[in-house]
Formats: sequence, C-alpha cells, structure tokens
Amino acid sequence: MKVFRSHLLLCSGTGCHASGSLAVKKELVSELEKRGLSDEIKIVETGCNGFCAMGPIMVIYPEGVVYMMIKPSDIPELVEEHLVKGRVLERLLYREPITDNIIPTMQDIPFFALQNVRVLRNRGLIDPEKIDEYIARDGYAGMAKALTEMTPDQIVQEVLDSGLRGRGGAGFPTGLKWKFAAASQGDVKYVLCNADEGDPGAFMDRSVLEADPHAVLEGMIIAAKAIGAHSGYIYCRAEYPLAIHRLNVAINQAKEYGLLGKDILGTGFDFDLEIYQGAGAFVCGEETALMTSIEGKRGMPRPRPPFPAVAGLWQKPSILNNVETLANIAQIILRGSAWYASVGTEKSKGTKVFALTGDVNNVGLVEVPMGTPLGAIVYDIGGGIPKGKRFKAAQLGGPSGGMIPIQHLNAPIDYEKVAELGAIMGSGGMIVMDEDSCAVDMARFFMEFCQEESCGKCTPCREGTKQMLEILTNITQGKGKPGDIELLEEMASIIKDTSLCGLGQTAPNPVLSTIRYFRKEYEDHIYNHRCTAGVCSALFKSPCQNACPVEMDIPSYIALIRDGRLEDAYKVLLKTNPFPSVCGRVCDHKCQSKCRRGKTDEPLAIKFLKRFITDNASRPKIEAVPVTRKEKIAVIGAGPAGLTVAKDLAIRGYKVTVFEELSEAGGMLRWAIPAYRLPRDILTKEIDDIRALGVEIKCKTRVGKDIPFAKLESEFDYIYLAPGAHKSQKMGVPGEELNGVYGGVEFLRDFNANETAWTTGEKTLGTKVAVIGGGNSAIDAARCAARLGSDVTILYRRERNDMPAAIEEIIAAEEEGIKIEFLVAPLNIVDKGGKVSGITCRRMKLGEFDRSGRKRPIPIEGSDFTLGIDSIIAAIGQVPDLSFVPKDSGISVNKWGTFDLAEGSASQTTNPKFYAGGDALTGPDTVIGAIAAGHQAAIDIDAAIRTQNNEAPYEEPEEEKIIIPFVLDEDNPEAPQTKMPELHGHERKNSFIEVELGFTLEDALKEATRCLRCDVEVE
Amino acid sequence: MAKLNINDLKSIKEKVQKETALRDGFYRVKVTVHMGTCGIASGAKEVMDSLMSEIEESGVSDVMVTTSGCMGLCSREPLVTVEVINQEPIKYEYVNPNKMRQIFRRHILEGEIQTPFVLARGTETVH
Amino acid sequence: MNAEHSELLKEFTAEEVATLDEIIARHKGTPGGLIPVLEEAQVALGYLPASVQKRVAKGLNLPVSRVYGVVTFYSFFTMTPRGRHTIRVCLGTACYVRGGKALAEAIKKEVGISEGETTEDRRFTFESVRCLGACGLGPVVVINDDVHGRMKPSKLTEVLDLYS
Repeated sequence: MKVFRSHLLLCSGTGCHASGSLAVKKELVSELEKRGLSDEIKIVETGCNGFCAMGPIMVIYPEGVVYMMIKPSDIPELVEEHLVKGRVLERLLYREPITDNIIPTMQDIPFFALQNVRVLRNRGLIDPEKIDEYIARDGYAGMAKALTEMTPDQIVQEVLDSGLRGRGGAGFPTGLKWKFAAASQGDVKYVLCNADEGDPGAFMDRSVLEADPHAVLEGMIIAAKAIGAHSGYIYCRAEYPLAIHRLNVAINQAKEYGLLGKDILGTGFDFDLEIYQGAGAFVCGEETALMTSIEGKRGMPRPRPPFPAVAGLWQKPSILNNVETLANIAQIILRGSAWYASVGTEKSKGTKVFALTGDVNNVGLVEVPMGTPLGAIVYDIGGGIPKGKRFKAAQLGGPSGGMIPIQHLNAPIDYEKVAELGAIMGSGGMIVMDEDSCAVDMARFFMEFCQEESCGKCTPCREGTKQMLEILTNITQGKGKPGDIELLEEMASIIKDTSLCGLGQTAPNPVLSTIRYFRKEYEDHIYNHRCTAGVCSALFKSPCQNACPVEMDIPSYIALIRDGRLEDAYKVLLKTNPFPSVCGRVCDHKCQSKCRRGKTDEPLAIKFLKRFITDNASRPKIEAVPVTRKEKIAVIGAGPAGLTVAKDLAIRGYKVTVFEELSEAGGMLRWAIPAYRLPRDILTKEIDDIRALGVEIKCKTRVGKDIPFAKLESEFDYIYLAPGAHKSQKMGVPGEELNGVYGGVEFLRDFNANETAWTTGEKTLGTKVAVIGGGNSAIDAARCAARLGSDVTILYRRERNDMPAAIEEIIAAEEEGIKIEFLVAPLNIVDKGGKVSGITCRRMKLGEFDRSGRKRPIPIEGSDFTLGIDSIIAAIGQVPDLSFVPKDSGISVNKWGTFDLAEGSASQTTNPKFYAGGDALTGPDTVIGAIAAGHQAAIDIDAAIRTQNNEAPYEEPEEEKIIIPFVLDEDNPEAPQTKMPELHGHERKNSFIEVELGFTLEDALKEATRCLRCDVEVE
Repeated sequence: MAKLNINDLKSIKEKVQKETALRDGFYRVKVTVHMGTCGIASGAKEVMDSLMSEIEESGVSDVMVTTSGCMGLCSREPLVTVEVINQEPIKYEYVNPNKMRQIFRRHILEGEIQTPFVLARGTETVH
Repeated sequence: MNAEHSELLKEFTAEEVATLDEIIARHKGTPGGLIPVLEEAQVALGYLPASVQKRVAKGLNLPVSRVYGVVTFYSFFTMTPRGRHTIRVCLGTACYVRGGKALAEAIKKEVGISEGETTEDRRFTFESVRCLGACGLGPVVVINDDVHGRMKPSKLTEVLDLYS
C-alpha cells in the first residue's frame, strides 16, 4: 500500500473548472515534481464541494486546511509554505465576509460547519472517478443489504417509514411512488432518474452527479429491486458534459465490478441502465414529458391518469426519481428509516440541499435539515448580503416558485411552510435578492421563461403565459393600466386550474407571490411610473436620479463639472434642492447605493461632487419674488421641510411666515448636526437665500406659548406643520432622571446653543462618557463629547453591521478614538448623591430576525457589568413634541406621536387647513426626505388653493435652458472612488473645524470622469 | 476484473479506508519533520523518505506526518518531533534515515522513547 | 434518392454524409433512437438542415414531419450553420440577478449580432441559455465548452480575443 503524508483534495466540479482548477492542478503537479514531493503528497480531484463562489478550492489533509481562489501563480508559494515549511499561507485562506476574520479549516468555516451533509456527504472527500473510494465510505453497502437481506416489500416500507419526499419539486412521498409501481403487474418496468435539472439557479443535481455519481447508481439499483425493474435510464441535460462524463465512468466501473448488469453481487438480481441525453427543453423535467422524450418524440406531457406507476415509459410501469432523492436511498437502507427521520420537521423529514445564489456572500450548495430557518441559511451559512445591502426576498422553487420576503426570515423551511408562504420547495434553488431587485421585473423574468419553455400543447399555458407576459412587460415599461393587477390575478388562477402539466400549473406562482408581498411596487409602477429598485429603466433617466427623493438631475451636474461649467451646475442643483451645500455634506446619498458604476468597481462620490460645485461656483443671485396672491401661509418649524415649503410657495407668489421656537433657523441641521460636519456659515447662507425671496422667519416664537394656536389658525389660510422630532426617547431604566444623564438631541442642542460654555469647560461631561445607541445622533453626540476631551464609549445592543448610522460616520468615530461596545444594553444607572457615577449593562446575544431583517438582541442572564462613568448620553431615538397642537384642533396624532394624514393625501392632515411633513410626520428621517416632503406639501397646498378658487393649475415659469454636454469615453478603466481629503485625527482633537476638506478640481474631474452616463441613450 | 461478491466489497472498503483515513482527521501519532533550508541541507528529505517507507511497509494508518520550518537549532538538524496524542512531544536531534527507522519502530509503534537521540521533551510544540 | 443525395452533397462532403449514414445505421431499430441520432448528427455536421432531416427520416423509417417536429422542439438542435465559436450568455436567474442582462447587451455590441445570429465571417454564434448550473460564478459566459465566470462587460474584449 502506497502511503502519502498529505492528500491535496482539489475541487474539479464545473464551478471550479471554470475558475481555472485545471491550470492550478497542472502547476501543482509540476511543482511537486520539481521539489521531489510527488511520492509523499497525493493530489486527488474531487467533485464539487459546494462553495463554488470561492473556487478553485483545495483542501489539504490531514490538517483540513482550505485554500480558496487559488491561481496557478500561487502554487510555488503554497507548496513552499504549507507542504515544505508546514505553515499555513494566510492570504489564500477564507475570510468571513462581515468580520473579515481568517478561518483556516473547513470545519470552522460557518458555510461548512453549519451544514448537515447526508446527500453531499462525499463531496470533496472522494475522487468521483474511483469506485474504490466510494466503497471505502460505505458505498454499495446499502445496496448489498437491500439485495441480500431485504424483500422488495421491506425496502418499500423502509423508504416509506423514512418519510423521504421527492426532492425534484412536488414533494410526493418516494415510498408511495415505489409502492404503486411495485404493485403494478408486468415483467418489464423501468427506474428512471431525472437529471434534467432545468430550474435556473438550481445546480445540486449537477453537483451530486459530478461529486458522487455512484450514490445515484446505488439508489437506482435499490429502487429497481423494490419495484422489480431490470432496466433504467438516467435522463441528463446535455448542458452538463462533466456530469455525463463522470456518470459514464461510474457506470463502467460498476459494470466491471458486477454491481450493474447480470447477477449483481451473485444475488441473481439483474439491473442495467443507460444515460439518455436531453436535448434542451425545460418541460422535459416534467415526468410524462421526460418519458415521451426518451421515446424519441417531442417532449410533451400527457394527461394523467394513467400514472407512470401503471403506464409510464413505453407504456410500462415506471418510477421517476430525482437525483437528490436517489442519493438519499442507500443511506436510508443502510442506516435505517429512524436515523433518516431523526432530523427534519413533522411532515418533512431529512435534509434538503439548496443552491444558494444571487445577492449573497457565500454562494454555493448548502445541505441543512428540513425546518432550518430561512435567515439561518441566508445569514449564518450564506454570510449575508454583499456590500451591506438589505435583504429583500429569497426566490424559492425557480420559475414555478415564489418569493419569501424579509418579514419571514424566521420561517422554518419545509414543504408545508414554504407552500403556506406562497412559494414551493421545487428542486431547492434559493436565489437571494437584495433591495436592488424589482419584484415586477422578477415576475416578468420568470413569466418570460415559462412562456418560452411552454411546449404549446395546451391552450391555457401557451396563450395565457403569453398574455400575462405582455401585461407584465407593459407595467415594467410604464404602460401599465389600472386593473392590470386584478387581471393578472384572474388569469393566474385560470392558468393554474386548467393547464395540463406542472409547468403551466405553476407558471403564475411568481406573479401571485410578488403581488402578495410587493403589491405596492406594482402600484408604484402602474400609477406613479416609479421603480424604486431602479431596475425598470424605461421609467427613469438614470438610476441615481431615480433613487433621489427629490430626483436631482445628477448625471447633468456631473457632466457640467467635467465641462468646467460650475455656475450652470449650481443652477441644476437649485432646481430641485434648496440646500445643495448642506446635502453635499450630510445627505445619506441613496443615489450612490444605486449607482451602476458600483457594479463594476465603486459607486461615484455623488455627494462630494455636489459639494464641490457649491464650494467653488459663485452663488446665483437671489431676488425677492413679489407677493401676487392673497392667501397667507404659516409654517411651523424652520427645518429643511418647513423652509422648502416656504421657498416653493414664495416662488409661487404667496406670503409665507415661518415660526421657529429656537433662536436660529435650520432645525436639526442647526441644532443637532455638529459644526465639524456642517459649518454654520454654510447653512446660514442657504437659509439667507430663502429669506431673500421674501420669506419671513420669526425665531424665538413657540406656537402655543409666544403666539396662540387659535390666533395662527385665524390669521393664516393654510398652515404647514413641520416641528421635527426634537425630543429624545427615554431608555426606560432606573436613574434616568439623575444629573449627568442627557438625551442625545438635548445634549447636541445645548452644546450648539452654548458652545463657548462647553468648550471653555464651564459646562462639562466629565472624564468618562457613555453614549447609548447606534444611529447618527449617537455618533454625533459621541464625536462631540470626544472633541470636548472626554473618553467616550458607545454602547449598542446589536452588532456593528446593524447600526443605523452611516458607515463613514462610524469609521470616523473610531478613528477619533471612540470605543464601541456591541451587544450590550443599559440596565440601570448608578446613583451617587443625585448624580451619575456608573451604568450597569447586560450583555446581549442575537436571536430571531425581526421584521427589519436584523437579529433581535436577547439579554444574557448573569452577564451584568458596571462601567464607572461621569455622564450618559441616551441617543436611542427621537420623537416629535406635538404638545402645541390642541386636542380639539381636529388634527389627529397617532400612537407613535406623529401626525396622521387624510386618506389619499401625501401631506394634508385630518384638518384640511393643516398640512404636515418632515420628522413630525415620518419619525426621524433624512434631510433629503424632509426636503422631498416640503416640495410635496407646497404642490398640495397650492393645488388646494387653486381648486378652491377655480383657477387653472400652476404652471412653472419657463426655465433657462442649460445644454448638458456629452462626452463618450471609449475606454473607462476600472478605478475606485476618489477619496475625500480630510483633517488628520490629531487635528480633529478639541476642534470643531470641518473634517472633510472638499474635493480639489483635480479630484472632481477625476471623479466626474468615472460617471457612466446612464441617462444617455446612444444609438 | 472479476465480479465482486459481498466479501470483496468489504475488503475493498477496508483497504481503501486505510489509504484515505488521513482525510478523516484522525491520528494517534503526529510526526513533524523540520524542513527548513538547513534541515533539508542536512538530510531532512532523506529522513522523510525513510519515514514514509516505514509507514508504507508497516501498513499503519494512524500516523500523521507533517513538516515545519527551521526551529532555530540549525546545528542539530535534522530534527524530528514525535507527538503521541495525550503525551508530551519528544524532539529528536541529528536524525538520519537509520535513526528514523528505529524511532518509528520503537517509539511510534511500541511507545518506547529512544532516549539517546532525544534533544528535548516537554509541552512546547512547534507550529 | 439521387436528387436528395445531391441536395445533401451541396452542403456536406461525401465523408460527412457517410458519417451520417453510419450514425443512422447504428441506432436503427433502437426504440427512441431518433434523438440520439440527431444529437450525434449535429455534433458531426454542425447543423441539421432539411436535407439531413430527410435522410434521417428515411433511414429510421419515420415520417419527415416527426423528425422536423423533434428538431424544432429541442433547443439543442439547429437548422442553420453555426459560427466556429458559440458564445452562450447565461440568463438563468442567478446570472440575471448578478448582471447577466447587461452582459448580453455588451456582447451584442461587441460582436455586432443579436441573439440567435451568426456573424458573417462565421466566427461567432451568439445565444442565450437558461442556467448552466454554474450559478456560483455568475454572471457566466460560455464560449464553446469554456466557462468564463464572474464576467464583466469590461473583460469581454479580452476573452473574445482568445477565440479567432
């Protein structure tokens, strides 16, 4: 026996082949040869090990270290380090996508560790082209047992008892299928294996055939014994050449060993089989169509009954089982039905293999017990969603299935639950979609698939899918009509009920499922011509503009930067945004998350480019607009929502008065956002521009105190309520009333109002400060406290990637020396003579998913600890203070303490004279969200007035035409986002100078050139 | 190839299981041959070859062989560490193919530490 | 017979016709032999025009309509000559979600033909396919039998240059 000190198991499944495993092997062989190691180290080519996204993959035994994404040029170093010097080569090891931790061994990588492999038990462990290695791992032992120790009835009973259900899609009990076929009379029966894996996104059958072909053969022989068949076919797609090759090798080896053919193992039982190559028709995955196809005809389904168990292939009794089903059989026979049924749920036993693909970090094949929660598959095994995006839904069951949305991440995945949620198990394709997928477009995609694959035999499927596709295509192109959704639902139910086979019966599923969970998206497409995901390109100019709540014309101002026309660019900004220089600093830039450039390398730095314009162009001169209308408008709250309404209405000729409680206008921009992010003079200039139009802003005037509510109501025709959300939420822990405990916004407001007192030390937080919370306010408070010289720790009850704060803010806080403790929650505040002296916290662990798709923190009993601190800033959320609104005003306020709107309106409250917007309507939101609300309210108020006066709708005055240049770059090489120049860490200490310094001209031109100009159609 | 019967199936299984046992990650003894440049120069490769042929001849499947780099004691190379599971590791110095064969037969197979060749013993392990 | 034979010889060499006959002979009498014959014939001849279908029908003793029905039903078969290299872009769901659509557009632009067409110089035939089972590497382009995973439009020229 030849002994090797090390085995190198190199994956050579289709996935790894495609990523270059052959070249890696060649290099490896020559390197081992060169170093004289060929006699000590053995290379074994295995089938797919499932982690396809990281290929080529090699596992080195005995250590079990996994190397990933190996290139031929890595080999000399790998051999030198690992095989000669005995050190792992870190750079080729697996890195956790979220934590970036390095994990060297297979059993510790969550992707593998959390799986329970039964069907895939041999993957990556044996050479699929060596029958002996299969035998060494109990191969053909189940068959031996079935042939020598069991009667056909016993075999059928064992499979029945195991609870195994068909893994091809429908989930029909396998034992029952066999029982029917066994009971059918006839000398000639067939065992068929369905390897026509056609569901897009499913590849477990291919993987099993490539990694462990004998398992399928063994299952078929046992099935043959059970029903009394002596020949069989494996119907395999021609698109899987490697699988066919491995099957052929396996069949030949089995024949040589006498495990196929006449008198198997000397038991007198005969069984032979051959491979039949499918010629590419999705419908042939349907059992009767598959049989028709083997008969050499067009693969069309035929009506049942008669069922295949009675009259199948060539009209003889037949059973058809899927690859994964058959791969389970030998284990069930060998280890018993009780073993098999020991995992799974009540009605769905055993494990299921899922092909996890789409927008997920760890793409690959995953085998888990039935009943595993969806979230565990997507997050724990799959490593979550790439690029920090949000999970939207998982499509289960391919074109016959449906979507499972974010609110069902805890759903235990088994046949029953999946059906209840409107999807089907199908063959186990699980395609993860993030927020950038459009539900309507996905429905259209699947319908197109079914329509093309419909064989045309029955009318409902042939014609119905065509018409549904037409409606869906229209909706995605902005040509949807009211009633389309209802029409789709009606047609879906007809097609489901009247189609001949599974293809037609399930084709409407994706449509029904997306309507069920994403009806609003359909309505958005039909009524508002909006695709929020930014997919249906007929509905917008560019994805960035589509993502912006005020639809800023981003591609145009970027093009103008390239052209050096900054004044024109500024005009483009002001068309939609009264606060461009503010937004150039503090916007949450939804536009960048949809930037197409991000698919190639990194999205454009749109926010920084916007700031570059406002930093460098001379500001357009503002002239007062004469008051031409008699209606008087009051605005309560001089934040971004209120000031936007004021500006828009002033431009339309209205007299607008803004009432502001605090000493200066700006709302959260002035009183919460610190100056190192948004310098005061920048904000002041933009507010001054609004004043210059003729808007009157009365500061230090609190409605209900300095001016009675009733007076306001009688003096003004319409009133816009935008008081914001300036009250911190309470933590609800004992000691909250102590000295030294601040609310997040209250602290920031006090600091911004009394900056000198704070910076000179007249007011102080003390040496040690704890900030509670993970949002932007928490980070703002923490960074302010750190600038005042305190030692700051942020306490957050979830994990880093759950923090609602902007990632760049979190990074900046850490750079400034702020510590963040994750998974802790405050329990009580330690009282020392009426003042805070410490905070007792409890550690948390993560439990089930909540509706936002984040894991819920659960307290760990007995994990309490106390931190000695001088001050606490609780920034866990803000609520509006609506106490100025009288109870009898007819303005309804809901249980969350925000305004209710009138039915069907986007801004009118339940009292028609009052409109509302901003944080007081939505809860804490973004600047740009508040601006969008302001625009909306201005349109609504103006329209209400004109309707009442029987006037024609408002027409915008003709704008100055700005010609947008277009330069087509022949070549736009990959390049990362241009970095924003910043103050260094030490320069930030004790200073409230703006941290981000602004792009230079060179930076801006470089960045602007990266724009792909999605807004331009080139013919 | 003759057709198999059930016993043939079992014997193939046993034979191949030994060859692939390595991949199960189970072993009783771990032998580390220190193969830095100095080790190789002083004959570590020949030591490795003799160890491999001993394992092959004896047919054992529970000995894991691994290599590591120079451990700093270049003057005493070749060095070999033998670590029987749950026992302290033993380091042998100036190992040559003959000594290696003796260490394999007496220590690894029979558990008798070959004191004359020992450099050090103790919990210190080489990573 | 002669007319049909000369029709075949217009498109194929005598050798190729002999191969076709050999394929037909090998499967004659096997139930369900039609599809394997067509599969092998397509590999040997590149495409299956009417003349080939007639020959197969005659050889297997089947009506031509049956052969035609099968050829047009399965996507594997083609009745027109193909390019030296077949570019197949995967538009299965996983690839679609990861940008397969944009890739297909880029290929169209790059080779100047639409789906299902062959370039004039017969260098490329361009098709889209449904899921090749290489979802882990999406988006995927297959040229002949080579799978090119994690493709980007920017990598296309480089990859296509490998096939002359």
